[in-house]
Amino acid sequence: MPNIAVFIEQRDGAFKKVAWQMISQARKLADANGGEVWGVLLGGDAAAAAALAGKHGAHRLFAAADGLERYDSERYGTALAAFCRAQNPDLVLIGATAMGRDLGPTAAAKLGCACVSDAIGLKFEGGAWEVRRPVFAGKCFVDVVPKTAPAIVAIRPNAFMAADGGGAAAPLASFDAGQAQAAPKAVVREIVSADGGRVELTEADIVVSGGRGIKGPENYALIEDLAAALNAAAGASRAVVDAGWVDYSHQVGQTGKTVGPNLYIACGISGAIQHLAGMSSSKCIVAINKDAAAPIFKVADYGLVGDLFEVLPELTKAVRGIRG
Amino acid sequence: MKIAVCVKQVPDSETRINLAAPAAKLDQTGFTRVLNPYDAYAVEEAVRIKEARGGEITAITVGPVTVKETLKKDCLAVGCDKAIIVDDPLLAGADEAAIAEVLCAVLKREAYDLILFGIKAIDDDSGQIGILVAEKLGLPHVSTITKLELGEGSLTAHREIEGGREIVDCPLPAVLTCQKGLNEPRLPSLPNIMKAGMKPMQIVTCADLGVAPPASLVEIRQYSPPPARGACRLITADDAAAAARELARVLNEEAKVI
Ligand SMILES: Cc1cc2nc3c(=O)[nH]c(=O)nc-3n(C[C@H](O)[C@H](O)[C@H](O)COP(=O)(O)OP(=O)(O)OC[C@H]3O[C@@H](n4cnc5c(N)ncnc54)[C@H](O)[C@@H]3O)c2cc1C
Ligand SMILES: Nc1ncnc2c1ncn2[C@@H]1O[C@H](COP(=O)(O)O)[C@@H](O)[C@H]1O
Repeated sequence: MPNIAVFIEQRDGAFKKVAWQMISQARKLADANGGEVWGVLLGGDAAAAAALAGKHGAHRLFAAADGLERYDSERYGTALAAFCRAQNPDLVLIGATAMGRDLGPTAAAKLGCACVSDAIGLKFEGGAWEVRRPVFAGKCFVDVVPKTAPAIVAIRPNAFMAADGGGAAAPLASFDAGQAQAAPKAVVREIVSADGGRVELTEADIVVSGGRGIKGPENYALIEDLAAALNAAAGASRAVVDAGWVDYSHQVGQTGKTVGPNLYIACGISGAIQHLAGMSSSKCIVAINKDAAAPIFKVADYGLVGDLFEVLPELTKAVRGIRG
Repeated sequence: MKIAVCVKQVPDSETRINLAAPAAKLDQTGFTRVLNPYDAYAVEEAVRIKEARGGEITAITVGPVTVKETLKKDCLAVGCDKAIIVDDPLLAGADEAAIAEVLCAVLKREAYDLILFGIKAIDDDSGQIGILVAEKLGLPHVSTITKLELGEGSLTAHREIEGGREIVDCPLPAVLTCQKGLNEPRLPSLPNIMKAGMKPMQIVTCADLGVAPPASLVEIRQYSPPPARGACRLITADDAAAAARELARVLNEEAKVI
């Protein structure tokens, strides 16, 4: 019975929505292949997680809290490994977030099990899991088969859709997190937030990015205004980051963030291969560029050839009109 | 300070992958190979620490000896003191777990205070090896660092997370994975490239390290091209304002994405 455990990430009590996307997908796989879907929560509000996990299709929720309120790789890694040893899931799904990318390999090394990063597809065939992931910055995909049970697979946010199945709260069990309470060697002393309330790039449904075409840091406001109207995250090309117009945390591309939103709007971005690497898996791509020959139009679904200084204020206005 | 920097040679970020149909193997012949861009931050940070405190830097890589030029130019010529290459045909196709095992075998031969990695290699895009090595060696690790301050026997690192950063205190020895923003890597000078040729470069096999080639935990089934995208639909109108309104309408009513 291939039971699937899904790690439910929480920071300061707030859950990452990739958890519900993974639970929804895991439930589809479980319905087709047998087995259960288990949520795994470390720290946070177990009752709230049980309700949301159940709604998206989880059969149970396992929770541990002692010493696990705030993430650190040692305690979380130990706790997740202890859970796996006790419950023997066949597969453990983790969001490919800052936390998940750290936790996955940490727990995998403790368990001596396979770990697959940044997956966008998952199949169960002939008794084995087949995981699809982009490599070479999305220039090609690879399908891999983990040879251990459990196998830990990190899933890229927005790769799957969350489905509200309307289920009741998942029955809750607490578990012994092993040595999770012992003091870690590396201690998170403080968490500093950059600017509050900003929509996170890698999780956003919509991303609006600006490139060198915005001409100067003062014009990044055009990007931020459109992003605000769409409740989107604001991104940038490396040209804009290297010029010092915005912080590196906004960079999209091979050496920046990888995003896969429903809608990606590239403004004044030429579409260099390294930029495409970070956004070409977006579901719908819009390019606004004054050069009709810019390579970005080769990957765009919709293109507008024009001056962004004229187009963006009008587009922001029109969006506000539509979204009220 | 004894510092180890683990580096990988990867295809240049401009590389185009021409894959018309699914294939069991990816033909990588003819790719231009460079130092993994994230590893350059690790090398630079090691050199800055050495400049401030003295010490010795060893660059370590697992891969074919064709990596030599890259090691010379981008590691030894900018300040690393020696290089170790594990070149073993038995490691062809090794996954992250296997490469991590081999790196551990090299790292165990000396006592390093600090072991630096890039956050990820831009070919496999996996971002695991630094953390796997730390765990296998039983060392604390801080991943995705954008700032580093060394104390006496300890360090403080800033770790990038969504919408902010964690400030982490960690004792030495430790493993760090380096993210863009940590520093600006320097370029090698011509005289230093010449001099780098004199620095020791050791080439070893798994047998030399006294380990059996580790098994991979993940099997590669096939590579495939990403799905092709449809043609671009151009939005045209009499003026920019009208085009903007039409774009908003299409995105709302037809694409249903806003
Ligand atoms: C190792 C490596 C890693 C890299 N990683 C990344 C990465 O992660 N992300 C990334 O983005 N890049 C990356 N790059 C850089 C990449 O190669 C390009 O240089 C960069 O993406 C260009 O940014 P841009 O499109 O904003 O600028 P440009 O290429 O200069 O394009 C500007 C565009 O704006 C348009 N424009 C100008 N004025 C207007 C206007 N008024 N209205 C509308 N359009 C206008 C122009 O027609 C042009 O197409 C990397 C490069 C290397 C070598
Ligand atoms: N073959 C290798 N030899 C030495 N170091 C490596 C090798 N592969 C990866 N690394 C290091 O591990 C980091 C993460 O790689 P990866 O987990 O493959 O994405 C890289 O940035 C390098 O620092």
